[in-house]
Amino acid sequence: MNKNKKDLLQSASAKKGKADEVCMNRRRFLSKTGTYAVAASAVVLGGGLFAPDSYAAKKIGEKANTTLLKMARDIYPHDTLEDKYYTQVLTPMIQAAATDDKKLSELADGAKSLDQIASQQFGVSYIDIKSEKDRVSVLKQIESSPFFQNIKGALMMGIYNNPDLWPRFGYGGSAWEKGGYINRGYNDIDWI
Amino acid sequence: MSTKFDLNDDSLVVIIGSGAGGGTLANELAQKGIRSVVLEAGKRFKMDDIENDEWKMFGKISWLDKRYVVGPARIAKDFPNLPAWIVKGVGGATMHWAGVAMRFQEHEFKMKTTNGTVPGANVLDWPVTLKEMEPYYEKAEKKMGVCGTKATGMPFHGESSHYKVVKEGANRIGAKCEQATLAINTETRDGRPSCQVNGFCMQGCRIGAKWSTMYTEIPKAEATGKTEVRPQSMVLRIEHDKTGKVTGVLYADKDGNQHLQKARVVAVAGNSIESPRMLLNSASSMFPDGLANSSGQVGQNYMTHTTGGVYAEFEKPVHMYKSTVVPGIVHEWKNNDPSRGHVAGYELEILHLGLPFMSAFLNPGKGGWGRELADSLANYDKMAGFWICGEDMPVESNNITLHPTEKDQYGLPVPVVYKTDHINDTHMRNHAYDRSKELFDAVGALKVNNLPPYPASHNMGTNRMSEHARDGVVNRWGQAHDIDNLFVSDGSQFTTSGTENPTLTIVALAIRQADYIADQMKKKAI
Repeated sequence: MNKNKKDLLQSASAKKGKADEVCMNRRRFLSKTGTYAVAASAVVLGGGLFAPDSYAAKKIGEKANTTLLKMARDIYPHDTLEDKYYTQVLTPMIQAAATDDKKLSELADGAKSLDQIASQQFGVSYIDIKSEKDRVSVLKQIESSPFFQNIKGALMMGIYNNPDLWPRFGYGGSAWEKGGYINRGYNDIDWI
Repeated sequence: MSTKFDLNDDSLVVIIGSGAGGGTLANELAQKGIRSVVLEAGKRFKMDDIENDEWKMFGKISWLDKRYVVGPARIAKDFPNLPAWIVKGVGGATMHWAGVAMRFQEHEFKMKTTNGTVPGANVLDWPVTLKEMEPYYEKAEKKMGVCGTKATGMPFHGESSHYKVVKEGANRIGAKCEQATLAINTETRDGRPSCQVNGFCMQGCRIGAKWSTMYTEIPKAEATGKTEVRPQSMVLRIEHDKTGKVTGVLYADKDGNQHLQKARVVAVAGNSIESPRMLLNSASSMFPDGLANSSGQVGQNYMTHTTGGVYAEFEKPVHMYKSTVVPGIVHEWKNNDPSRGHVAGYELEILHLGLPFMSAFLNPGKGGWGRELADSLANYDKMAGFWICGEDMPVESNNITLHPTEKDQYGLPVPVVYKTDHINDTHMRNHAYDRSKELFDAVGALKVNNLPPYPASHNMGTNRMSEHARDGVVNRWGQAHDIDNLFVSDGSQFTTSGTENPTLTIVALAIRQADYIADQMKKKAI
């Protein structure tokens, strides 16, 4: 896992500028006021989002690790996508929160509020609600909060605007440098 | 390229905006030897700046200055600060447009005569007819290189897989579907290459196969030595003398320094939010309601087309992105047939989005998440779809006003855009959703998704043309009723919207207007 951590850190920091720019675009487009700089890395440890002994983990509470990941998978559920694609979006947000009290409380309080609603309505914490439908009903209640919308917005960019994932969605991405599609399947269809 | 005019030169035409209207006007005037300065708010981009990347290009070229959308329509909730999806840069929205170039139909120039009074709408006939416009449409099609027309003789692009799916559905329900007449080269023409089908028409054409003033009209105008383009020049106000004639334009350069460019004639072409905003911002003691606004119509009758999206999911792949963005059009309902339950017509424009934009538009706004959406996006490669584009009703209360207190980075009041449906628009959109579902069901759709309108790229009507000064802002030449040497040269002069995409008509009007301005200057009438 430590090896994994190093690789991810390197590749993520190489992409920092691009990710910042893309995230900025999305924010301006959707007119969100929250500002999570998508920076640094994706540190994946033990199925959670960040190292349990990290400063962020201590401040936010270890439970948020798994709560936020579950929430991310419920927002854009693609069962065949590995956790890393979700954690790559969340980890930088949490790392940024480690040095920004406002962001930290947004995440920590957000995760806490999920558990509060879950325990009131289902008697268990959010991650222990078995049915997706019930978890969605909890998320619906905080849907318009900056906490939820900032995570949703970051995930939209991290999943659907992620060139690494485009082949899995059957999307081609940039085409001009390959000569476009005029000779690469422009009119190929076999079922019409 | 290096022509520089003096700020005190009062013999110039000052054109505000460099898109379809302003860019075309500058070149048409330049070819006649008439000198102009083009003030463009945005930067000058290079071809290398154009990438096949939806979000990157959105961030790079869009007009993102602060604006408000208000009103009960969903767009005010989904996109509260982005009423319009247009471009801030040399070339304006011709960088972003998909290239669809269709002429208005005859009846669309006389909607009042055709339908009489439409309650709750401010419908008016254009003071121009199709017959008068035809020679200019022909010139515009030649200039822009519109494929599939007699004017150019260029063939269509050929049927993409996306087109074939829709064509088959249209055939099965007896609806007429044709390849789109696009201002995109299908042969090498006018120094520009043939389309290689990158599928990113709306992010700026990386190879220049699609017409944009950025690399056609503007450099051609500059090559004459008669035109100076000043990018990053934001107009603050248009000045006038005590006789009421306009005399110059005050603007801020990229460093915020203000300059006053004197002018013999001023032509406003900043798109339908900025153009009326400039006239309103130029209010004076002589014109307390803004320039050219004796009718009270400046900023009113804001139209965007009646729009929406429809994306169907199929069992097998379509790969709609391997196509020109708009490969074809279902024309069946473009006529004016009130028996459908609405006046005016609409087109179903086959149009693809990439996966990144599809994720943002399939169910925009705060509630766009969850398994249903994710499952549809997982079917991205099996999707085919439309953008609905129909005539929308001019409604006086759909308008552009100035925020009473809030200012933007230039110190100008932030524009507030109010836009909501007329009942005719709602009926038309619902008709289009229903026919689209029939069409897609006929070819085996597993699911059909209806998308609400997204930020408008077609913006019209806020300085409209009218025969009588009391009904509109400009006359049949785009000349202000109130001020002889002030012109409007963009889509804001549209009296009604038609169902067709506006660019071809904007260009045809600009060519025609250039003839008129040259004539009037020669006669010393202006």
